[in-house]
Amino acid sequence: MFRMLLLLATIILPIPLSAQPLPVGCEANFAGGTLPAVDAKHSAQSQTVCYRQFAILHSALTKTPVWSAEHLTAQRVGAASGLARKGTFHAETRIPAAERADLIDYKGSGYDRGHMSPSGDMPDGASQQESFSLANMVPQAPCNNEVIWEQIESAVRGYVTAGHDVFVVTGPIYDGATVATIGNNVAVPTRIFKAIFEPKSGRAGVYVTANNNDVSEYATFTLAELQEHTGIDAFPSAPSGTKGRAMELPLLSAPHHACRAAR
Amino acid sequence: MAEPDFTPFENDVESVGCEGLTVENGTDAIALYGRIKITRDQQGLQHALWLRDFANAVVARLSAEKDLPDHTAGPKLTGSMKNPFA
Repeated sequence: MFRMLLLLATIILPIPLSAQPLPVGCEANFAGGTLPAVDAKHSAQSQTVCYRQFAILHSALTKTPVWSAEHLTAQRVGAASGLARKGTFHAETRIPAAERADLIDYKGSGYDRGHMSPSGDMPDGASQQESFSLANMVPQAPCNNEVIWEQIESAVRGYVTAGHDVFVVTGPIYDGATVATIGNNVAVPTRIFKAIFEPKSGRAGVYVTANNNDVSEYATFTLAELQEHTGIDAFPSAPSGTKGRAMELPLLSAPHHACRAAR
Repeated sequence: MAEPDFTPFENDVESVGCEGLTVENGTDAIALYGRIKITRDQQGLQHALWLRDFANAVVARLSAEKDLPDHTAGPKLTGSMKNPFA
């Protein structure tokens, strides 16, 4: 009887989008094979999209990713470092047109199309091109994207190259009652985070930067703090000790570049 | 690594790079950012040639423009929306 009820329930209840099975191999982007867990506000009108070397949760509410996840190994980063940057920005055709950002939204906005999973982490031409999907982008202040953010991305690759196998979850933070938009309702994040987790050592931490042109440093959050601020549990499989303690985040010893946004 | 394989100001979608440098093409503006080390070796020479060719291509295109304005207009005004996650 119970089995029959269960069967009926399965037939009658609509299957939520998020419960649809992921394409084979997509789980490799996530620590423990587990997707980041988000609260109801972030999961409303959202869609998971899997790519060759990363995966995203896209929100139609902001027309940006909620998170973009990838798994970095020394081998992958080595392959990526031998690949010259080459790609073309494009709208994501797997997301309905009304729910996604388009090139025109960013044009002349004063904001960069900021990769969440970086093109510099992609080990081959096909995955690099996929990283140029606008579904993997947020409107990012040029002096954030081109200076401190670039240094953070390079520092993470340096850490991985030194023999650390890490999972990375990157995404926007929207603070306040209202948020700025560009184009046709593409939301501009107030902050941007990059969470890293090294399962072998149990180390984890989160870079958090302000999304403006005056930013010159990052804050370090624990995974637990990120979840408090955003409702996003980047690595549900991480032990609670890991979530409550922030590692010393890798940072390049590169000199600080002065940056001034074009007016 | 020879010359940058893109035409300045031709489109709004192309992005190429040279070691730690990134170029994003645009019909209104081209962005060049990142960091590069020009080493005193053959690779350094290749990088320097890339930079020269990049700059030459941009200079040639801008010099050929008729009525090049002093400054183009600044960024469009941003809008706002209720924070859907608040």
